[in-house]
Amino acid sequence: MIPTAYCKIGPGIPALSPVFSPRLQTKTLLVMKMTAFFLLVACLQVSANGFSQKINLSTRQAPLEKVFKEIQKQSGYSFWYKTRQLDKAAKVTLDLKDVSLDEALKKCFENQPFDYFIVEQTIVVKPRDRSPVAMPEIIAAIIKGKVTTAAGKPLSGVSVTIKASKKGTSTNENGEYTLSVTKEDILIFSYVGYDSREVKVGGQTTIDISLTESSTTLNDAVVVGYGRASRKNLSSAVSTVKSEDLNAGAITDVGQLLQGKAPGLNISTSGDPNTPAAVVLRGVSTINSSQSPFYVVDGVPGADISIIAPDDIASIDILKDAAATAIYGNRAANGVIMVTTKKGSKKGQLQVAYNGYAGLEKVSSSLKMMNAAQSRAFVTKNSLAYAPNDDKNANTDWQKAVERSSAFSHNQNISFTGGGDHNNYVASLNYVHKEGILSHSSMERFIARVAIEQYAFKDKVKFGVNISNAISNANDIPYRNVVLLQSALHLPVSPVKNANGTYFENFNTTGYYNPVAMMNHSQLNKKYNTLVGSFTTQVKLPFGLTYDLNLSYQKMDTLQGQYLDSYFTANYNNMYDNPNPGLGYHTQQSFGTNGQATRSTYQNTSKLLETYFTWDKKFGFHTINAVLGYSWQNFIIGDGFQVTTSNLPVDNIGYNNLALSNPYGLSGYTIGLGPDGVYQETRLISDFARVNYNYKDKYLLQGSVRRDGSSVFGANHQWGYFPSVGAAWRISQESFMNNQALFSELKIRGSYGVTGNATGFNAYTAQLLSGGNGTFYYNGSNVAAYGTTQASNINLQWEKTATTDIGLDFSILQGKLSGALDWYNKNTTGMIYPYKVDPILVQTGTITANGGSMNNKGIELSLSATLVRKGDFTWMSSLNLSHNTNKITSLTNPLFTGGDSVLLADPEGGGQSGSTLQILKAGKPMGQFFSLQYAGKNASGVSQYVGGDGKLTTNPSIGTDYHYLGNAQPKLLLGWTNTFRYKAFDLNIFLRAVFGNKIFDATRADLFRPSTAATTNILVDAAGESPSDGNAYKYSSRFIESGSYLRFDNASLGYNFKYLGESVKFLRVYVSVNNLFVITGYKGVDPEVTQGGIAPGVDYNNFYPKTRQFLLGAKVSF
Amino acid sequence: MQSALKYIIFGVFLTGTLASCHKADVPVKTELTPAVFPQDSAQYIQASGAVYTVLRGNYAVEYFFQQTYSTNEGIQPARGGNWYDGGQNMTLHYHTWTKDNGYINGNWTWLSTIIGTSNQTLSLLNQTVPAGSFKQTLLSEVRMVRAFAYFMMMDNYGNVPIDTAYQDFTTKTNTARPQVFSFIESEIKACLPYLNTASGASTYGRPNKYMAYALLAKMYLNAEYYTGTARYDDCIAACDNVINSGLYSLEPMSSYLKMFYPTNGPQMKEFVFAIPYDPAFNNGSWPFRCVNIHSRYDVPRSEVAKFSLPFTPSAPASTLPEFYANFNDPNDVRNGQWLTGLQFLNDGVTKVEVTTTKAGYDGILNKGDTTPYTYQVNLTPNIVLRNTTQPFDVGDDEVGWNMGYRNIKFYPDASSPNRNQNNDVPVFRYSDILLMKAEAILRGGTATLGQTALSLANQLRAERTSSAAWSNITLDSVYNERSREFAWEGWHRNDMIRFGKYEGSWGFKTDADVNHRLYPIPTVALQLNPALKQNPGY
Repeated sequence: MIPTAYCKIGPGIPALSPVFSPRLQTKTLLVMKMTAFFLLVACLQVSANGFSQKINLSTRQAPLEKVFKEIQKQSGYSFWYKTRQLDKAAKVTLDLKDVSLDEALKKCFENQPFDYFIVEQTIVVKPRDRSPVAMPEIIAAIIKGKVTTAAGKPLSGVSVTIKASKKGTSTNENGEYTLSVTKEDILIFSYVGYDSREVKVGGQTTIDISLTESSTTLNDAVVVGYGRASRKNLSSAVSTVKSEDLNAGAITDVGQLLQGKAPGLNISTSGDPNTPAAVVLRGVSTINSSQSPFYVVDGVPGADISIIAPDDIASIDILKDAAATAIYGNRAANGVIMVTTKKGSKKGQLQVAYNGYAGLEKVSSSLKMMNAAQSRAFVTKNSLAYAPNDDKNANTDWQKAVERSSAFSHNQNISFTGGGDHNNYVASLNYVHKEGILSHSSMERFIARVAIEQYAFKDKVKFGVNISNAISNANDIPYRNVVLLQSALHLPVSPVKNANGTYFENFNTTGYYNPVAMMNHSQLNKKYNTLVGSFTTQVKLPFGLTYDLNLSYQKMDTLQGQYLDSYFTANYNNMYDNPNPGLGYHTQQSFGTNGQATRSTYQNTSKLLETYFTWDKKFGFHTINAVLGYSWQNFIIGDGFQVTTSNLPVDNIGYNNLALSNPYGLSGYTIGLGPDGVYQETRLISDFARVNYNYKDKYLLQGSVRRDGSSVFGANHQWGYFPSVGAAWRISQESFMNNQALFSELKIRGSYGVTGNATGFNAYTAQLLSGGNGTFYYNGSNVAAYGTTQASNINLQWEKTATTDIGLDFSILQGKLSGALDWYNKNTTGMIYPYKVDPILVQTGTITANGGSMNNKGIELSLSATLVRKGDFTWMSSLNLSHNTNKITSLTNPLFTGGDSVLLADPEGGGQSGSTLQILKAGKPMGQFFSLQYAGKNASGVSQYVGGDGKLTTNPSIGTDYHYLGNAQPKLLLGWTNTFRYKAFDLNIFLRAVFGNKIFDATRADLFRPSTAATTNILVDAAGESPSDGNAYKYSSRFIESGSYLRFDNASLGYNFKYLGESVKFLRVYVSVNNLFVITGYKGVDPEVTQGGIAPGVDYNNFYPKTRQFLLGAKVSF
Repeated sequence: MQSALKYIIFGVFLTGTLASCHKADVPVKTELTPAVFPQDSAQYIQASGAVYTVLRGNYAVEYFFQQTYSTNEGIQPARGGNWYDGGQNMTLHYHTWTKDNGYINGNWTWLSTIIGTSNQTLSLLNQTVPAGSFKQTLLSEVRMVRAFAYFMMMDNYGNVPIDTAYQDFTTKTNTARPQVFSFIESEIKACLPYLNTASGASTYGRPNKYMAYALLAKMYLNAEYYTGTARYDDCIAACDNVINSGLYSLEPMSSYLKMFYPTNGPQMKEFVFAIPYDPAFNNGSWPFRCVNIHSRYDVPRSEVAKFSLPFTPSAPASTLPEFYANFNDPNDVRNGQWLTGLQFLNDGVTKVEVTTTKAGYDGILNKGDTTPYTYQVNLTPNIVLRNTTQPFDVGDDEVGWNMGYRNIKFYPDASSPNRNQNNDVPVFRYSDILLMKAEAILRGGTATLGQTALSLANQLRAERTSSAAWSNITLDSVYNERSREFAWEGWHRNDMIRFGKYEGSWGFKTDADVNHRLYPIPTVALQLNPALKQNPGY
């Protein structure tokens, strides 16, 4: 919050601007504050030697500002003054020849209502009537102290000033300072982005103090594509989440770190920790599978975010509107997330930091299946009967049988940072080990990262090297969805093992396999190794030009092994797999005998060259920042192979020695070689330009354009243009705002732009390809058939998303409350989708083409406030709310003329093949439920439904008797962070909520089969059902529930130790709990069902238990 | 000087960077693009293969269901909701199907895909294969597969659009059935001169000259129904072309059943055209899959051991008593294709037994009775809808699962590692040629080659039953003979319609609407081609 703007003319650092405490009201104090700041600036300033000290001036009725400029030009001295101050300036008429600076200034100020004084090489303009009183300097004592953040982290570069004399110093790398003071002095501690504090010296000799961050982030630098910008001068919609605001807990996924932290981001995690969170920004903008934002890590577009250790993240910027994202052209339609990792500090000394935690997870929620007593009561009551093979008088909780009672995880992170005058570095090591809550599942990851920056050629050239390598090793469960389904279906009256120690099995029941035996007779291991290396060069050129050259290389290797042992292949052959709905169908699995082993290894590589010029220039009140660049990127994915073989002599060797297998010993068995067409190469070439212009920091304009060429598109449409414009008006800078005290910042923004989507489909989608169409009998041989597997589409081009955004940034009550409000309207056209086409025309039955359109409209609000600040206690709170309305506006396509709808999400429950749950239809949103409408039970107790003709039926048909039954998209998303601080304690409480969405609980429907209660277990909730109702389980509105919930996502309590001696600079210990409770009416395992993909909000095969997690951690730095 | 050097270095670097190309193309090195495939005769054959792999896609399963469950030959009732599947089997039985029926949609798509694949293959081969007899034969074989697909389209859906050009995206409206007939006829005639005249391994699974004649015979036999114009003499002439080739003969009584066993193949003298199935064929994704899984539908769950199956079948499908009544000659070798009554293992002595509870045996009569109960599996002839709360449902207990006589003509394949079977499925058999000719004569055609309807029928019966030869023949007796001869081979619907029996009552079906001789143009077709018009009565 800056009561009035201060302009600086002179060779300074434009990105920095002074910050003043809102509580310092008098102008004198302001000036003194300024002095403190100048001391800091002076340290940083490039010395301005070589200027003449003799001034020549000849002006006639010239504005004072112009005269200042001339003086500055000749003397090298800068001027500092309040913008509005000069409004009252008298015009100057002078004729000076070879006078001293002092004399020139005296003449200038002669008839002005203000005076000046000089600090270092800066001329400060101040009101005439209040000249500073020179205080006699009575050196009473040398005072020492340390300045830290509220969390206890040392703050370097904090300006420490004596209030009266304006003399001062700044803190060193460890946050320490020394200053000569008198007893009467009042010290002012101030630092960019933090609230200033005043402390009376009195009798103290040591003053340690902590500064709290200002609740406004307006002065922060924001990472935008190919550069940084100051938040206050942004004309686009960008949310920033700092490292300390990221979600706490044993989290290894970047999506989860951001959950609930920024308005407009809809992030949903499934219970399965190995599935990355689904991230959707400002509503799903396409029916294409590629819906998640584009990630840029440390300037490397498309970098793999899975290799970043959460501890290494400095900040995450979420670029939301087209003005911000269009610089990333045809990959930016779903928004861009910029991840910035921590850098070494220049001129810092070595700092070693360690961060570690240990966590424990326990199941917090799972399906409520019947126990033995409940099941037996139901079976008896309804005159059903267990098969003697099943009824062994056991009481087994099959879900528990496949789980761990508690899962342990721990994380160790150590980092070194440091630097000298011409270089800086950071190196970090991260190790995390996480047990899955399901037995046999675990994840281990090791990340090493080194980043070095070296200045050369008189600091005109900066070289940077950033190398990071992540190695992970995960154990998973083969056919995990089947195992989980079986754990729900198995009757509690059957034991896990028979009396003789063998596994219980009852193969008389179709599709019934002991889940514990499945787990213990199979193994699945996945290893990943990802290397990212980048080399950057930045050259400072004359005329305010900078040249950047970035080269980067990324390589990911996967090595996977799966073994199904001889028990598995003997007993579970021909079982069906159990995929997630909407995508595939249940397919029958055919194994060899005597074990089956699969091994696969694939490599993905990406090469990138980016180069650009930046021009930064100020002409008086005009500031221009322009970027012009070129980018070349080449990707190869799926470079590798897969082998599946069978008939192994022993089970012990698992998948580790395929050479011992004898697949030819099995009649009819063929060695599996994995899917066709895994190898894909793509190239993306771009030219881009952006211009930012601002006048007096008041009127901001921005325009950008990117020209993208991509190999994935049809020959006719390889190149596209993606333009954007944005403008903002900082109303609070206007003079008519001088007389109000409410707003310290008020800005209106508007932008429009077009971005594209060029991912989510195969690299060769536009081409005519032949591929394996099975084998056939030809003249006594089994010959491979190669037919067309893909029709060509020379007109395939990018999807286009045009976004309009209008935003308002404000800060009121002297910064106690600040926030941003955004309204947006996104229109996607030419959605890329494999549209159905008459197979007579295109025999594959689909053609990937552009067609249809979608609209998203929404409002986002973020607020942050300091609610209480009393003595040692503060309570800060930030809230973000977002609302989005999504609608498919068209589904037509030149080749798909007849249809306006696509039925999808077919969970294939028994006897329900072809019963879909959702529809894509023009005029309806994504995730529109379209199914049977439940109408209670008829007189004989059979579930009935509202037919397509409006009449009730017990025998409804697929499609014709379907109704629109709400949709999966939430109406409101909410994230609420509260930080309480009391002395050395801090408590962070984070709540997250989703309102207004529906969930189709197909999991519940599939376990709601009273008639099968004697063969497979059912939900406790189905106890009131009658087996004679053969419709009870039918997918219908009966299983569509509200998905609203409020989750107490995280609470962390920390204590920051003080005075730990010379060697330990900082120590913090904390405890944290995740998912303490959920308030919801939802009956499934958890209302957080994935919001991503083409069929969002379907709870299907959702047996993965939800967990609650407790952490104990410590951070220490030396 | 130093700074000048700096700018020069920088300038060179910059120029190099900006000069780097703006070519966004990537050479495709790992796929079969038209630039690299097909280029020689082995590749031309591989490129023609998709036509055959797609042809087998639905033929043995969904296409068979659509032909069979709509007649008295077969039924697939639900068992406690299992196999109800949205009523798609039920509506086939009742003739109350709608344009949304899964089979009617799926088979339309399948047949369209055969045609689309043929069009594409013809286009590719026409451009790439050098002119000559190899090319003419290769292309003619593909055209015959397309003609056969159009025949199935015409037989099932009547008025279908005709598309023959690849990359022509204009949608075509329906062609009236008589014109579709003429189109198929002209296609066959155009191909005939170039088709192979050999039978056996060299042409097995692909159309040769006699497959073309057999298809013509089938067309002409039904021409009166399809077009309003009788073509019985043309039918007889087509049959005579097959008979005169001397390449085919009837399978003797001793090996009749084996003709359909997993071991069948190009050595079968009676197969004029068959679709090969083999678990060793790459079971690609639909429609290029290789799926003959009759055992899954036909073999009772309790008989895994008897047939040494590698999987537990589901066995929802059986025949109806009305159809089984045709098997009334105890000396007929064709009776051996049925599983009926009390079940024994292959030794004929050991009972096939199931241990369950009394309620598990009969959940209606013994509701809730958990007393263990062991019984010998007894397949009963009648289908009784005992489950009153669910439609078309015989109940999910042993009594329900044992309802209906089962057909195991495509004998279960114990050697397969999965439920796929090695049994090839015949489309045209020599016995069909003989019976078609006999029927054509009976329907007014002129007898040739000294053969009469009776002599032809008796020629066949001599190899099927040890009972005395017939002394007279009627259309009805030909119909009954066809029912016995071609049970479970997918021709019964075609026969019933031609004999005017499709509007009769059987099982629970009473519908007599003649419009139901044609299936509706299904939803999927109407969605993708708005130019199509619905068949009458739908």
